Amino acid sequence: MQKIELMAPCGNWESMRAAVMAGADSVYFGVEQMNMRARATANFTVDDLKEIGEYCNSHNVRTYLTLNTIVYDHDLSIVKTLISAVKEHNITAVIAADQAVLNNARTAGVEVHISTQLNVTNLETVKFYALFADVMVLSRELSLTQVRKITDGISKEDVRGPSGNLIEIEIFGHGALCMAVSGKCYLSLHSNNSSANRGACVQNCRRTYTVIDNESGNELEIDNQYIMSPKDLCTIYFLDQVADSGVKVLKIEGRGRAPEYVKTTIETYREAIDALQNGTYSQEKVKGWMERLESVYNRGFWSGYYLGQKMGEWHDGSGSKATQKKVYIAKGAHYYPKPQIAEFLVEAQKIKKGDKILITGPTTGVIEMELDEIYVNGQPAEEAVKGDQLTFKCDRIRTTDKLYKMIPNPDV
Amino acid sequence: MIAVTLQRNKCIGCNYCFEIAPDMFRMSTKDGKSILVNGEDKRGFATVRVHDEYEDKANQCKEVCPVKIIKVHQCKVKK
Repeated sequence: MQKIELMAPCGNWESMRAAVMAGADSVYFGVEQMNMRARATANFTVDDLKEIGEYCNSHNVRTYLTLNTIVYDHDLSIVKTLISAVKEHNITAVIAADQAVLNNARTAGVEVHISTQLNVTNLETVKFYALFADVMVLSRELSLTQVRKITDGISKEDVRGPSGNLIEIEIFGHGALCMAVSGKCYLSLHSNNSSANRGACVQNCRRTYTVIDNESGNELEIDNQYIMSPKDLCTIYFLDQVADSGVKVLKIEGRGRAPEYVKTTIETYREAIDALQNGTYSQEKVKGWMERLESVYNRGFWSGYYLGQKMGEWHDGSGSKATQKKVYIAKGAHYYPKPQIAEFLVEAQKIKKGDKILITGPTTGVIEMELDEIYVNGQPAEEAVKGDQLTFKCDRIRTTDKLYKMIPNPDV
Repeated sequence: MIAVTLQRNKCIGCNYCFEIAPDMFRMSTKDGKSILVNGEDKRGFATVRVHDEYEDKANQCKEVCPVKIIKVHQCKVKK
């Protein structure tokens, strides 16, 4: 069985370190306003590219810069700046949608991957973009049979990219889906003047709506009012079929999601891909993996369009169906490297011995652990409350870190 | 007089403020973000004082900005 590359979403340093630690083969991320998550509060900047390149290259993780928004004339200069920065700092490739980006990157000799925004759905299109790109993500609306046809066609007709290698096909493996074809949506632009195609989607499709026929005044009877909010895509339970379809890269969605989401999802898919590789993939394992995936942010799961369902499956609530949620407790205060003791200042709720905790920070990434033994103000203790100095044995932490308690989600 | 403020690091370069008030905003050809013409920068917030007649235009820009980084307020009158 051929090896599948696992590609992780990174919206910030926390997620990037979590993804690398969790075993991602590659990471994708955006900088400044030129990416489809421009609205996110914590985006990378051009200056981060150097460190991203160094960090990921030292871990043998490939790096892809998303440069896939609509591009206006006033953006052409920043596009050039970003592409030369990609080249300078050894970022592996750019993910592009606009022809200006494709052309600029090719001219500069930077590897190009085709974004989902270009909605690739057939072999002829693959051949066309093969003039520019080596990797292409297929439209999320294709079935695995259609995917298979394209990957077969690539090897049969020997379709090669600028690198001289056969075109590699990538598909979305897990994460949010939206009601628009390949994310080309104007809803947010019409309602809030905030274009999804410039990375500023306000996600109004995730709200409840009623549908009324203005002519008769009749209200349409529908299952639930979340009529435009699909469930999240999950492919782990038919990953064997995904691999059989000849895809080389499995992309996980979620640059807007929390670092523990990235850690859990990547770890789980890492295990599943490795299991496929060594022949231990089984439905029993799938059960355990599903439980883990359900513990982090999700809108319920379905298989997307890959298995050829007629109708989409829609989310029936607002926000997440994760079985766990995090509660902020404390901030990092100090680390004693020799005895490996972490010190936190408790700023919010109380925390007890035995609690499951989560520590995140831009340098630390994500640490998940159970508190076996805690000390409060230097003394062994059962619980710590607001204002206490909490210490326990732990891997290295920093003062920029935050500590959360993981609790069962009462809404699920 | 009114004061117009732009927090440009959060700008996504959508171009709308420039469409409405090209004499107040322009798009940087360097980084693709909006620039407040004659704005005085203070910790990432550029501010300019303009005559009252620009108030409508400035408010339209404020309304239309998808990331809400334009603020308009009346200048305090010094007695």
